Amino acid sequence: MTAIRVALDLLREAAARRWFLALGLALTGLLLLLVTSLRLEVVDGALAASRLFGKPLDHSIQAADVALRPVFLAASQFVFWGGLGFGVLSCADFGPALLSPGRIEHLLSLPVRRWELLAGTFLGVLALAMAGAVYASAGLVVVLGAKTGVWTGWPVVSAVLSAVAFGSIYAGMLAVTVWVRSAALSAAAGASLIVLGLLATHRTSLLDLMGRGPGRALFAGVTAVVPPLGKLADAAGALAASAPLAPGGLVRLLAGTLAFAGALLAIAVWRFERRDF
Amino acid sequence: MPAAFAVTSLHKRFRTRFGRSESVALDGLDLEVPQGEAFGLIGPNGAGKTTFIKCLLGIAHPDSGRVELLGGKPEDPRSRARVGYLPERLTLPGAWTPRALLASVARLKGLHPGRAGLDGLLQRLGLAEAGDRRIRGFSKGMRQRLGLAAALVGAPDLLVLDEPTDGVDPLGRVEIRQLLAAELARGATLFINSHLLSETERICSRIGILSHGRLVRSGPLEALTSVQQRWRVRFAPDPPTEALVALGFEPVEKGAWELAAGDAAVLNQALDGARHAGALLVELERASRDLEDVLSEALAAGAA
Repeated sequence: MTAIRVALDLLREAAARRWFLALGLALTGLLLLLVTSLRLEVVDGALAASRLFGKPLDHSIQAADVALRPVFLAASQFVFWGGLGFGVLSCADFGPALLSPGRIEHLLSLPVRRWELLAGTFLGVLALAMAGAVYASAGLVVVLGAKTGVWTGWPVVSAVLSAVAFGSIYAGMLAVTVWVRSAALSAAAGASLIVLGLLATHRTSLLDLMGRGPGRALFAGVTAVVPPLGKLADAAGALAASAPLAPGGLVRLLAGTLAFAGALLAIAVWRFERRDF
Repeated sequence: MPAAFAVTSLHKRFRTRFGRSESVALDGLDLEVPQGEAFGLIGPNGAGKTTFIKCLLGIAHPDSGRVELLGGKPEDPRSRARVGYLPERLTLPGAWTPRALLASVARLKGLHPGRAGLDGLLQRLGLAEAGDRRIRGFSKGMRQRLGLAAALVGAPDLLVLDEPTDGVDPLGRVEIRQLLAAELARGATLFINSHLLSETERICSRIGILSHGRLVRSGPLEALTSVQQRWRVRFAPDPPTEALVALGFEPVEKGAWELAAGDAAVLNQALDGARHAGALLVELERASRDLEDVLSEALAAGAA
C-alpha cells in the first residue's frame, strides 16, 4: 500500500513536469489533427474513399477493418519505439531526484520501507508509461472507430505490451541509479538496453557471424537475458493489427521480459537496502 | 522516564569507493535521551553529528553497536512514524506546493489531517500565504520553515532537527524557538544538532559535545556552563576598588567583579565587607561560561 502511495506521489510530480505536459499536449494535438483532417467514407463496412487534409489517398476499396490494420500496425510501432525513446529521456531523472541528498534522507526517515520506496518509483514510472501509451492508442481507436464504425481493443492491448517493454528497460535504469546517482548514466543505461534489445532480436543470426571466443560468449550471455525488443515490437504490431501470433510465443516473450525486469529490480533493492545515505 | 532513544557503542566508518582509505565517523558512541527532554548535540564540522542522526534514523547503517528508537529498531516503520526529521540540507520537489508536500508526508505516515490540519501547520510556520505557491520560488528560510512543518506532521513524539534555524532570519529564529518550546511543552522530545551554540543554549536543557565521533562531554546545560564556587557581582558606579580587591573580588569585563566563595557564609561575609567599605550591590549571579567556552575546553581536552 505504501508503494502505491509513493507511486501516486511520483505521478503527481510528473504531472507538474514540462516533459509530460508536452507529451500530453502533443498526443492530444495529433489526435485532434486526425479528427479534423482525416475523412473516411465507409459504405456497407467497406472503406470506399479517404482524404487527408482534403487530398484523396490512393487505395483500393476494401473492408474497413482490413484497411485499418496497417494504420494500427504503424501506430503500435510509433507507440512502442517512440515510447521507449521518450521514456528513457523523460524518466531518467526520477530515480536520481528521489535519491538526491536532502530528499532521500527525509523519505527514509518516514515510515516507508526501502523496498517500498524503490517499488513505488518503479510502479509510478510504469503507470506513467502505461497511461501515455494507452492514451495514444485508445485515442486513435476512438477517432478511427467513430469515423469507420470499426471498434477494436487490440491496439490498446498492444500499447500495454509496449509499456511492459519499457518497464524492463526502466528496471535497468533504476538499478544503475541505485549504484550511481546520475540522470545521464540512467539514460545511457536505458539507451544501451534498447540497443542490446535490438541485438538480442537478431541474436541467432549475429552469433552465426561471430567467431568463437570470449567476445562471442559474452554476447551470447548478455543477449540471452535481455528482452528481444524487436520481437516484442513485432508482437505488439501483430496484436494491434489483429494478425496471428505464434502459439505460446507472446507468453514466452512476456515471461522473459518480466523475469528480466524482476531480476534487475531485485538487484536494485538488494543494493538499496544496504546503501548509506 | 523511558528513553526516546538510546545508542550503545555505536561505530561507523566510511570508506572511499575503492576502499583505499577510510575515516572514522562514530567511534563507540553511547548516548541516551529521555522522553520529553530537549537535547542539543554540538561539535565542530566532521565531528560525526549528522552521521549520528543518520544512524539513529536508519538512514545509514552503523558498523556495530545498538540503536533503540522509541522502543523499537530504527528500521521499523512503527518507530519512524513517531519521528519528525529535518535534514541538514533539505531538498524539496520544486514543482510541488507546500500543501502538496505536507499532504504527501501525511499520507506516507498513514495520516489524514485534512486541509484544515495542513493549513494549521502552515499557519504555525508562517507559510499560510505561500501554501499554494511552487516551492522552487522559495527562499532558503522559507524552505527551512517548510521542512520544519514537514517534520511536525502528525505531532511526532521525537523531533530530530539538523540545523533547524539555518538560513532563517533573526525574527524567524525567535518564532522557531517559540514553536519548539511549544512542542516541548506538548511532551515531544527534541534532539537538535546545531553549529549555532547560542541557539542550542536557548532551546536545550542538556548538551552533548561530539568530537571525532566520540561524546567528549554530556550533561545538563547548567552543570556544563556553571563554574562551581564562583559568583559574578555588580556594584553601583565608582565602588571602592582597593577595598574590593582586598576582600577577594576580581575585576572582570564591563565593571563586573567575580568572587570565589565556597559556601553562602563566605559569600555573605565578602558582600558585607564590600558594603561596609561603601560599595552598593546591584546584581549577584552564579558565574557561568557560555557554551562556546565549554565547547573549546571540551575539544581541547578531547584532542589532548
